[in-house]
Amino acid sequence: MAALLRSARLLKISPCALLPVKGTHKHVATVSGYCSRAVCRRAAGLSGSVNSPFSYSSAWPCSALRYYGTAPEQKGVVKDEPSLGVRTKQAQQFDWALAKLDSSVRRTGRVTKTLLQRIFHDICRTGYPSGNQALLLLRSCGSLLPELPFAERTELAHRVWEKLQELGATYDVSHYNALLKVYLQNEFKFSPTDFLAKMEAANVQPNRVTYQRLIAAYCQDGDIEGASKILAFMKSKDLPITEAVFNSLVTGHSRAGDMESAANILSVMSGAGIEPGPDTYLALLCAYAEKGDLAKIKETLDAVENKDISLMDRDLMQIMFSLTKAGHQQHVPEIVERMRHERGYVPDAMNLCLSLITQGFEDTAFAVLKTFPSLQAESQNGDNPDLGNFFLRHCVNMDKSPEKLVHFCKDLKDSNLHSSPLQFTLYCALDSKKTAMAVGLMKTMKEEGLPIRPHYFWPLLTQHQKDKNAPGTLEVLKAMQELDVLPDVDTYSNYVLPTFPSVDTARAALKGAGCSVDTTGFVSAEVRNEAARGNLSGLLSLMSSSSFPNIDIGAFRASLIAGFKGSNDVESMTKITELLYNDSRFSQAGTDSADNVAYFLYNLFDGMTETDVQAKEEKLRQYLNQLGQKNITIPVNIYRGIRNILDSYHVPELIKDVLALVDDKESIRASDAPTPRGFEDRVLSLEKKLEELKSQGKPTGAIFKQLISALCAEENLSRALEVKAQHEEEMTPSCYALLINLCCRHDNPEEALNLKRELARKDSEVALDANKYMSLVKVLSKHGKLEEAVDILKEMKEKDVPVKDTTVTLLFHTLNSAALKGDSTTIRRLQDTIFTLGLVSPSSNLCSPLVTAYLESGDLTGALEATMESHKLYKQLPRIHDIISGLVEKGDTELLQKAMDFVSQERGEMTMLYDLFFAFMQTGRYREARKIIETPGLRARPGRLQWFAEKCITGQQMEALENMVDMTSKLFECDRDEMYHYLLRLCKDTNDWRKAEAVWTKMQEENVIPRERTLRLLADILKSNNQEVPFEVPEVWYEQHEAKDSSEVARGESASRVSPPKEASAAEYHLRVMTLSKKGKVQEAFNILKEADRKGMALGPASYDALIKALLASGNLEDALAVKNIASKHVSGFQLSDLASNLHIITQVKHGNLKDALVSLKGMLQADQVPSQLAITRLVQGLGSRGDVQGIQEVENLVKTLGPSINLSSMLFVNNTALAHIKNGDIQSAVEGLESVYTQGSDSPQKNISFVFRKVLEANNEGALDKLSAMAERLCNHFASYRAATDLFLQYLDTGRTEEAKFLLQRCAAVVEQKDAMMSYMTKISQKSGQVAKIKTLIELIPEFAEKETVCAYLMKCYALDKDLSSAKALYEQMQAERLQVDELSLKRLASLYKDAGETVPFEEPPETFRFYAQKLKESKTPSTADN
Amino acid sequence: MAAPSKKVFEVFVSKIPWTVASKEVREYFGQFGHVKKCLLPFDKETGFHRGFCWIGFSSEEGLQNALQKDPHLIEGTKLQVQRNRKPFMGRRANKEAEES
Repeated sequence: MAALLRSARLLKISPCALLPVKGTHKHVATVSGYCSRAVCRRAAGLSGSVNSPFSYSSAWPCSALRYYGTAPEQKGVVKDEPSLGVRTKQAQQFDWALAKLDSSVRRTGRVTKTLLQRIFHDICRTGYPSGNQALLLLRSCGSLLPELPFAERTELAHRVWEKLQELGATYDVSHYNALLKVYLQNEFKFSPTDFLAKMEAANVQPNRVTYQRLIAAYCQDGDIEGASKILAFMKSKDLPITEAVFNSLVTGHSRAGDMESAANILSVMSGAGIEPGPDTYLALLCAYAEKGDLAKIKETLDAVENKDISLMDRDLMQIMFSLTKAGHQQHVPEIVERMRHERGYVPDAMNLCLSLITQGFEDTAFAVLKTFPSLQAESQNGDNPDLGNFFLRHCVNMDKSPEKLVHFCKDLKDSNLHSSPLQFTLYCALDSKKTAMAVGLMKTMKEEGLPIRPHYFWPLLTQHQKDKNAPGTLEVLKAMQELDVLPDVDTYSNYVLPTFPSVDTARAALKGAGCSVDTTGFVSAEVRNEAARGNLSGLLSLMSSSSFPNIDIGAFRASLIAGFKGSNDVESMTKITELLYNDSRFSQAGTDSADNVAYFLYNLFDGMTETDVQAKEEKLRQYLNQLGQKNITIPVNIYRGIRNILDSYHVPELIKDVLALVDDKESIRASDAPTPRGFEDRVLSLEKKLEELKSQGKPTGAIFKQLISALCAEENLSRALEVKAQHEEEMTPSCYALLINLCCRHDNPEEALNLKRELARKDSEVALDANKYMSLVKVLSKHGKLEEAVDILKEMKEKDVPVKDTTVTLLFHTLNSAALKGDSTTIRRLQDTIFTLGLVSPSSNLCSPLVTAYLESGDLTGALEATMESHKLYKQLPRIHDIISGLVEKGDTELLQKAMDFVSQERGEMTMLYDLFFAFMQTGRYREARKIIETPGLRARPGRLQWFAEKCITGQQMEALENMVDMTSKLFECDRDEMYHYLLRLCKDTNDWRKAEAVWTKMQEENVIPRERTLRLLADILKSNNQEVPFEVPEVWYEQHEAKDSSEVARGESASRVSPPKEASAAEYHLRVMTLSKKGKVQEAFNILKEADRKGMALGPASYDALIKALLASGNLEDALAVKNIASKHVSGFQLSDLASNLHIITQVKHGNLKDALVSLKGMLQADQVPSQLAITRLVQGLGSRGDVQGIQEVENLVKTLGPSINLSSMLFVNNTALAHIKNGDIQSAVEGLESVYTQGSDSPQKNISFVFRKVLEANNEGALDKLSAMAERLCNHFASYRAATDLFLQYLDTGRTEEAKFLLQRCAAVVEQKDAMMSYMTKISQKSGQVAKIKTLIELIPEFAEKETVCAYLMKCYALDKDLSSAKALYEQMQAERLQVDELSLKRLASLYKDAGETVPFEEPPETFRFYAQKLKESKTPSTADN
Repeated sequence: MAAPSKKVFEVFVSKIPWTVASKEVREYFGQFGHVKKCLLPFDKETGFHRGFCWIGFSSEEGLQNALQKDPHLIEGTKLQVQRNRKPFMGRRANKEAEES
């Protein structure tokens, strides 16, 4: 943020200078001197732009919720839908990969090799990659990988290209263009003619972007002749020659050694009517840089500054890179000085550093590093500076020499940029297991007097331990010795001994290597080892040896307990305990060995499970009795602890044996009885329902009221007043309320006021609801009874009437109707009253009517004054966009300046700039708008951009929208796909396919990866205009569901209809099979495929695959295998996709054949297939319910190698392992496992353990539940991790344990705050019928978790599902009574309930479809953040 | 849940730099009172610790001394120290590795 502010300050903008009114060129120039123009072409090799090319912004928050809502497939035990996971897999995977890469690019402007390779690998494994997956991967193989050398990047690109092609990806021109871009970025030498030939062979038509890039390729080589050939060709084809082409020519001439011609290109451009842009100058500057001509560089930079052009830091970095690469790094400091440290400087500069390091110029990189703003040095985590971590890490990764590393570290330390650079560098070296480097660094650290500790070597040892690499381990130990670091007990027992087959071989090997083995550390490790193996007699002799050193029992207590647990050697157990009790060598100085033993006993029992203790009861009794004989005693508090444990393990018989050991039996008291927990359900009785109307008999109160309300419903005011006059005595406050409201509706202020006064006379305490008051206020102010209206507002305040959202809406309408009459006095008076009383807090919307009043009459000065007044009084800036647009339109620079100053001062420059931008856009002043949006430091505000885009789409303003999309191309963090999607939407609306096609080319030029929906939209536009779609259209799986129903009916006739004509080509068959498979018409597809087979036709692998998928989805394994056989006949090496194997696994699990299922899984992995999420889930759940912890671990290890692509929740293993433990009675381990999930790392919505709670609740396992709820509470109160408690709460709720839920809320108050979780719970359960009670309980327990209207909407949904018309009616009435807004979807639901019940719908049914209203509601919930 | 003595004087420490291990942490907190236990879990996969630990004092006094001090600096790095109100259960099985 600070960086942003600093750079934004650069722009001391004077808006009048931008106005064409005073539009002399001079003015414009001064402003644009600060503004910067976009940069379109980036020369090869340097930092990727921080603008995310894939960006995916808006989907984030909701996707998190979605994860929570659907808790991957764990819910129902047998939900037999194998096809679902399969169908969505590809789309999901793309989303996942995209999101992953995007977040990386967004944060850092780069991608790491590991991430990219992982995604590549995963995409390969699942097979048949989609077009945009391929594009995504290719696109990432260029400058987004600054950590990789050029050659390696290109190699990766080629691997991707070939592999995906092999797997059946179809390449279109966008792919070829992306490949070209990567070549350019990686300075890869290739033959453009061959490239074109390749495209021709593949029958792909090159386009403008292709030629442009080929020219660039020739130019990169200095081949002007080649470039000219293509240029001539472009001209012959009438393709536009853009600035990019000229820029390439500058580079081309310079590389050909002709600087004069290079510089001359600029005037050629001007001659051709194209003004040289910043990229042109950049190309020229880089050319000079390559020549090392500093004078020319400076001259050009100064010249640029005097023009209407400005270069960004990123451009200067490009010059620095060129200088360095050409060996002129001595000039770099001169350029560094010109840096402006704009927003985005740091990520760009980081990428520059990384590139330089990769290319071997780490010294220059270091010089750049030191230019980082000092603020950056204040680290994110604490007050210690740690600038350059990324630098040091990359140096380590690039294996720079320890001397160099030390040199950098010292410099950083001495200049106070980093508090502990050596430690950090060492961390990196250890983390990447670079032993020699780490040891080298540690030597320096030792010289510097920094401590070197045993655990520094553990990361090195872990690797050797995993590989059982004894020589490696010895090497590390020797290094330790060299550095005078004595390995401690943990080093030996955890990291050294496990590498060797036995302690003896370890000892021998260590001795042989010259490492000492008589140390306390080694002996302790030996003790641990013996104890853990259960060799108690050996342990005893070891411990009794007089040469045994002083070792505190703490060093081996746990191993000893483990040993005792597994041993039946009571004799040795007793003797060891006695030794511990009597021998002071085993207790730390200052502690009593007797206490230690007592504590050890406690730990022993505590460390055993219930089953352990029960099984070994007799042995334990013997052991305790023998301890008594040895006069070993324990204090009473320890006894109590052990007693409680034994109690809970249901072995009370042992207690008396423990009691025998207590030293002071006097002090034992009777223990408190456990407090019983109340379980009475608070019974809630709800009465509703009115009896039927229609009795004209006795005028009792109830009937009278019904009559009045019926009359009100019929809007019959006069009759209602008559009835009232006849039965004055029956009038209750609610009747008055109804009548007053009716009068208001009928615009009758006098009568309303009379009734109100009458009511006040009868009962001065009574209050109306807020909306009725508002109606009164409205009607009174409308009729000029301002003071009366104010009195009503005051009464509302006095009577503390709760104000709802709808009240605010009414208030707005009241004010706005005054505004339309231009009655600013009324507005001011009402506003003042409302806000001073604090009835409603001021909002932009509520303040806007005052401004409207002036705008209506065209009084901009008044409007501006009004909005400024609003800001002064209420901190709101209503309708500022309209005011500014108006001022721009009118050209009132003075007032505009005033407005801008004001906004800038009050709301910040960013808001001001956006306001000004939209005002210019609105009025068609694009040139000025561009200058604004290209202000350095400005970043994308998606909400505001969307607001304007939607405006353009609705108004079909193509020009404005196109301009905005173009102008924002370099806007920081701008979601490009989103922007182009807006454009295409408008193309769709205007049915302009030519424009749509041009948009696609533009996207390639800009290197944007379209999302699937964008491609589909584009294909849609082209198809509906009978144009060929030049790319593969992403498949839409979800249409399958809908298609299915109709296909059942239409099967008979369609079978004959869809059969292709006799002479149909293989391609047509292919298409047919694909379409039918995807539409779920499996049998037909199969028939056609068989027909094709009979004719000996080979279809594409994709169609076979699609059909196999479809057959499997319908459970038809046999036919699927038949298709596979056909496929392998035609396609050599056709591999059945992984689905059959997955299905197999699932079936095996269903039949309880877990062992076999595990074997199948292993088989799949060996064949390099990817098991589905579902198959793994089923298997793991099966293992969990069997208590097979090991099996789960095995699966987890197997699956780990697959990477994250299959989208398995890590919680699957955690949860089922916990359940397995619980099944085995080992609740402790279950709790440990679960707890560590939350204590390590942050709360994330994926960490869902509801499944465990649900299973435990279902099994009524109180013991487990107690411990789990204790854990949830602990996490909540100590770790601020609320997920577990929230899950438990919702599970209590879901299983109807309201009391428990309530208790939990009392103990973990923070659960109340987890509103997202509550919302998604409600969303989820409302999809099934019979869930009303749960929602009601939830509201009761946490009333504020959602807005009332939202809850009502969900309730309505539930009633609709339950077909419960009467409750739905009651809800509707209640909502009306409370004046809650009933959305159209709910009305629609209610209406169909009425119709289903054969009743007439008493209101106007919303005419559109459910889908329409659902969509509408969704859109209204995505707020546009434009603060207009 | 049973515990040998009901009172537990524990603090939860986080943001521990990788360069220090149990020994150093224990020593550091020793200045406030006798440290009865010190749990600093290491990740066996990576060989680095996880950056947080539990310190148990034998007396209320030790606990109070530790809580009153601010900031806690170990080798120049600021630690975050907060009170652990309830005994931490559930790490008994592999206590040894960490508690030494």
